[in-house]
Amino acid sequence: MRLSYVFRELYLRRRRSLTAMLGLAVGIALLVVVNALSAAFGEAARAPLAEIGADLSIQRNGDVPQELAGAVFPCSAVTLRGDEVERVRQVPGITGVATGVLLWVFDADQFTIIMGLDPDNPLGPGRLRHFITQGRFLESGPEALLEVNYAQERHLTVGDNVSVAGKRYPVVGLVDASKAAKVAVAGVYLPLAEAQALALASPQVQSVSPFAPGDVNLLFLTADQRRVPGLAATLKGILGNKVSISTPESFLKQLGNLFALSDTFALAVSAIAIATAALLVLKTTAGNINERAREIGVLKCLGWTNADVIRQLLAETLIQCLLAGVLGLALAWLACLALSFLEVRIPIPWEMAPTPHFLPGGGEPVFKTLSLPMRLAPSLAAFALSLCVLIGGLTGGLLARRIARIKPSEVLRHE
Amino acid sequence: MSNTGAMSNTGVMSNTGATSETAILKALGLKKNYGDLPVVKGVSLDLQPGEFVSLVGRSGSGKTTLLALLSGLERVDAGQVLLDGVDITTASEDALALLRRRSVGFIFQSFQLIPTLTAWENVALPLFPVKMPETERRERAEALLGQMGLGSRLEHLPGELSGGEKQRVAIARALVGRPKVIFADEPTGNLDVQTGQEIMDILRRLNTEDGIAILMVTHDLELSKSANRVLRMQDGEFLA
Repeated sequence: MRLSYVFRELYLRRRRSLTAMLGLAVGIALLVVVNALSAAFGEAARAPLAEIGADLSIQRNGDVPQELAGAVFPCSAVTLRGDEVERVRQVPGITGVATGVLLWVFDADQFTIIMGLDPDNPLGPGRLRHFITQGRFLESGPEALLEVNYAQERHLTVGDNVSVAGKRYPVVGLVDASKAAKVAVAGVYLPLAEAQALALASPQVQSVSPFAPGDVNLLFLTADQRRVPGLAATLKGILGNKVSISTPESFLKQLGNLFALSDTFALAVSAIAIATAALLVLKTTAGNINERAREIGVLKCLGWTNADVIRQLLAETLIQCLLAGVLGLALAWLACLALSFLEVRIPIPWEMAPTPHFLPGGGEPVFKTLSLPMRLAPSLAAFALSLCVLIGGLTGGLLARRIARIKPSEVLRHE
Repeated sequence: MSNTGAMSNTGVMSNTGATSETAILKALGLKKNYGDLPVVKGVSLDLQPGEFVSLVGRSGSGKTTLLALLSGLERVDAGQVLLDGVDITTASEDALALLRRRSVGFIFQSFQLIPTLTAWENVALPLFPVKMPETERRERAEALLGQMGLGSRLEHLPGELSGGEKQRVAIARALVGRPKVIFADEPTGNLDVQTGQEIMDILRRLNTEDGIAILMVTHDLELSKSANRVLRMQDGEFLA
């Protein structure tokens, strides 16, 4: 095998070489882009939960309170008992648990959404500590963290007091929740114990969904990624069918995108693109061999064995396919770059960010908007290049018999 | 010499006085058909080391097919060929390729140079599959091209060479494996008279000075006179 011979032959037959290379390059680019798109939608679907440091969130659906007065539970988030939380914590594959209490508080002069969170737990709503714009994050005790928009609307700031359900809490900080997830967004954030106390003391809560000390109504879980898809069924087994479990897959379904809907679709498109490209390479290489029958005859006259000739032509095919792979990756990189400017709007189910429908803006769809996280993963690039080498090798292998059949006397036929 | 007789154990005398046992090429009763058409009809011949034999005949007389049979480029339908002591009628394709690399050189009417390779690379082409340092390949090719008066054309592509220069590159290529026998198929067929004479002078020199046996196919009776002996072919057989 001689590389200068390989490259000059590819250059001499540049039209044919380019046709095969472009065909394969487009196939590879398509394979990479389709899979990168699929991965990007998957990653986008993980974003709402990932931003609050969770892989799954759990709520239990219940009844609408008889009267909207004082602290009530939204109907999409009623009691999850403390013992149930402990059983969930023991499920194999669950690596972390964060709890929360979400309350609607109807005071005489205002409506407030309250989120009770564990200030010491970095998972779940505890992630809000990274989005403090003023003051500090919650510690234990009766104190409040306000969402910046909520604070602006009510002209409150750090050091003021906020009154909720007849109780006053000193404001210790402001948080920009819009920079975090759209899940379980509240106006006022309290330490979990404070929110639990409000729920415990609320007759409306107790009448709809008995609430005991240690109970919560939001559960955020981290889990072994490989086991996430299978966990939903296990958790429903523990918590019953009334719970709604949000996972990246459920967000993916919300997207309703063709790529998001089906890995099978991505696989099918990739397979068709690659099969077409491989056939093109096979066809052009076969044409190349037919065209070069005289040259192959000359080589055999000069003492090249079949193996020598096959090695030379295989090197040409391999290099051609490898160059096509590199070109395909370059095209895919450009396409990924262009697609990364696209924005994807992930609808957040009302149940996960509940607001009363009768309030202004209540019940309106909530979206998490983010740039499509397109990435050309090194493993995907390596797979694409390996595929190119495989196609080159298989093509060479398939055509080896045809090369072997060319007689050295072919050269005399062209005399 | 024998161009009609059978190959015996005691050998057949050639016109150089050598026996068939010393022959570099021995053929016995060669037959070849293309479909139902007999192209070579039971031909036998010997070629001694250092002998120069011309094979003449009209177009379609079977001389090129015979050359292909004798050099192992085509398989015989019947008969036997011993080339440099190897029975090429039963040898494998790879064995034949290695025999051609080791003992045989080819010169063609249309030169058959690889258009993408330079002059020296074309000359070194038979050595590419051989494990040897690149410098040695190049040195051998350069030396032969120097002998052919093409020392200044080493890096030229075939498209940049004249017909005579191309054929001299082809001769250098035939010599690079240090062959014992050269098969030449109408080596001057694509050249003008003067260039053709120059090529014939080179072949004669290789034959007389280097002792390389040459079997040359030609339809030109004048050129055939350069040979030690001339075999005339008609309808797949030697004429008496």
